[in-house]
Amino acid sequence: MSHLTAGIDVGSSSVKAAILRSVAGDHGELVASATQRIRRRNVREVARATFEEVCERAGLPCPALDSLSTAPFDYVASTGEADLVEGATGHFYGMTAHARGALFLDPEAAAALDVGALHARAIRMDPRGKVMRHRMTSQCASGSGQFIENIARYLGVPLEDVGTLSTQSPSGEEVSSICAVLAETDVINMVSRGIGAPDILKGIHLSLAGRLLRLLRAIGGDGKVVVTGGLAIDEGLVKALRETIAGERRGSKAVTSTIVADPRGVVAGALGAALLGAFRTEQLRRLGDARISAA
Amino acid sequence: MTSFDTLMQQARACVDDRRLERVRAWKQENPGALAIGHMPIYTPRPLLEALGCLPVAVFGGGDQVDVIRGDAYFQSYICHIPRSTIELALGGELEPLDGMVFPAICDVIRNLGGMWKLLFPEKWSAYLDLPQNFDRRLGGAFYAGELRRFARELEARGARPLDEVRLRAAIADENARRATIDELDVLRRDEPHRLRASEAYLAVRAGSAMTAAEHTAFLREVLVAARERQTRKLDNVRVVVVGSFCEQPPLDLIITLERAGCDIVADDMQLGMRMIEGAIDAPSAGRDSVDALADAYLDRGAATASRYIGELVKGRALIDRVRAVRAEGVVFAAASFCDPALLDQPMLEAALQREGIAFTTLKYAENTGQFQTIREQAGAFSDSVKLWGGAA
Repeated sequence: MSHLTAGIDVGSSSVKAAILRSVAGDHGELVASATQRIRRRNVREVARATFEEVCERAGLPCPALDSLSTAPFDYVASTGEADLVEGATGHFYGMTAHARGALFLDPEAAAALDVGALHARAIRMDPRGKVMRHRMTSQCASGSGQFIENIARYLGVPLEDVGTLSTQSPSGEEVSSICAVLAETDVINMVSRGIGAPDILKGIHLSLAGRLLRLLRAIGGDGKVVVTGGLAIDEGLVKALRETIAGERRGSKAVTSTIVADPRGVVAGALGAALLGAFRTEQLRRLGDARISAA
Repeated sequence: MTSFDTLMQQARACVDDRRLERVRAWKQENPGALAIGHMPIYTPRPLLEALGCLPVAVFGGGDQVDVIRGDAYFQSYICHIPRSTIELALGGELEPLDGMVFPAICDVIRNLGGMWKLLFPEKWSAYLDLPQNFDRRLGGAFYAGELRRFARELEARGARPLDEVRLRAAIADENARRATIDELDVLRRDEPHRLRASEAYLAVRAGSAMTAAEHTAFLREVLVAARERQTRKLDNVRVVVVGSFCEQPPLDLIITLERAGCDIVADDMQLGMRMIEGAIDAPSAGRDSVDALADAYLDRGAATASRYIGELVKGRALIDRVRAVRAEGVVFAAASFCDPALLDQPMLEAALQREGIAFTTLKYAENTGQFQTIREQAGAFSDSVKLWGGAA
């Protein structure tokens, strides 16, 4: 049976939405996706606007907020800050949604590396997408996208150019991988020493990659690892991750992770939520459970 | 018809009434009448109402009170509710209360009762030694004797004399309230999108300082408004929350569980209002309504941690409850250092494991302010049950 589902992922700096058409609650086709930065806007309004945008891209009507129905969608799934999504059918925990989204992007994925604005987490899942183990960065900002944003601002580099610039540097300038505050001090010193933006950014990416790979090692991150979250499209980070893994392979640590990058990784949470919504719709239909039929 | 939102605002105002303004107003309207506070879990409120007193449920300071002086009275390994209760009392916020009842829950509440006598010798206070022998001739006779003693002591303080007609009327009022709470529970169970657990919690707790009749009228308004609400159904996992019978979880914790994808279709919060399972029967021939109160506690008291009954009985009671409300999992939510809840938990977990029912455990304090960890744990549990049909 065919299902049309939507996923809305409210993160700390942006809202992502995806629409999916699937058969029997399994893999399907990504119909449309949309991302909006929150900036200083009301998050609830951004969530609604992102949903309206993705519906428009898909050529579908957006369910009215005061409607008791989610038509044309069988299920509208929220993830992230669920209470800010009005009119959702159900909610899925962020890690579950990212794990499922990663499997959509690569069905052979063994783990997801979700790098968002505020946190990064390594998630190991089984082939269904059930989270088996996870590790998350703590309060420190040096494992997050916000850290990259701050550095880009110090350097006067547009955020969208960060990845490309970083890939232009062969080895990067070493920065503290322990603390974002120390790293930012390092960067200020580097600028005053006349070190170029590509080398600084490469150093930052290598530092971040080191932290992320420690999370991966803690969950046994062998096999294919899909990068999800806002930094999935940061080619500098992806390259740094691959280089760091290659360096470890040459050394004594036997890390066999293969980094998978897909531009759709940015919306992996929303995509995963939409997939889980489809799975759930089918599951409830088979069980004859009417809990989400029209009130 | 008053709107649901307005009723919830009214309930919230009652719950937030830490200075007991409502009790002060009642005393002004009823000059000379006594207001009697009582700690969780269970105090027979109809007895107090029959004596012309206003029973006032005291749940500590919640997340609104900075405990400073209260900490001096209890060790660090003691739960939070006695500290905040002392803090409120020393700060004068419980001043409208003319007396306090400390029901038998645990050693901590017994100690709190002792401290009360030392701190406020001019006020009436009593330790309510609920029976652990459930034979009417032994535990029943003892308990009825205790209730009659309370009545005599309060009469000496200005309460009305105990009177069979008035006690019967008070029991009838309590039965009506209990029946209305049952209706709320049925609505929560069958249509949780119309009445969330956090909303039902507020509605019930609003009656902490109301007479049973007044509270019943309020609850009926909530029922009517909730049934009329136009809300969308949610695909949530149905859970029973247990362990929160004494120190109450912060309201935000209940909301956190809901936002994590849980419909709390049954719980043991504010257990005192539901302690007697069903109505209190009229006394049998040759017995009076005090005996009826005692019999109800012996025969139909909820199987909770402060009741020393066989572990299989408690385990069976939880399983029956889970089945009755069609729950898919159980959340053990106990206050930190709550010995009764935490000592019962292993046997309840064993019962759930035998039946293959998923559960998760968490701890809180009444003043917990950060819920991120609980939210992640509840979210993982909810997904696990919803998608894979088992524990995380």
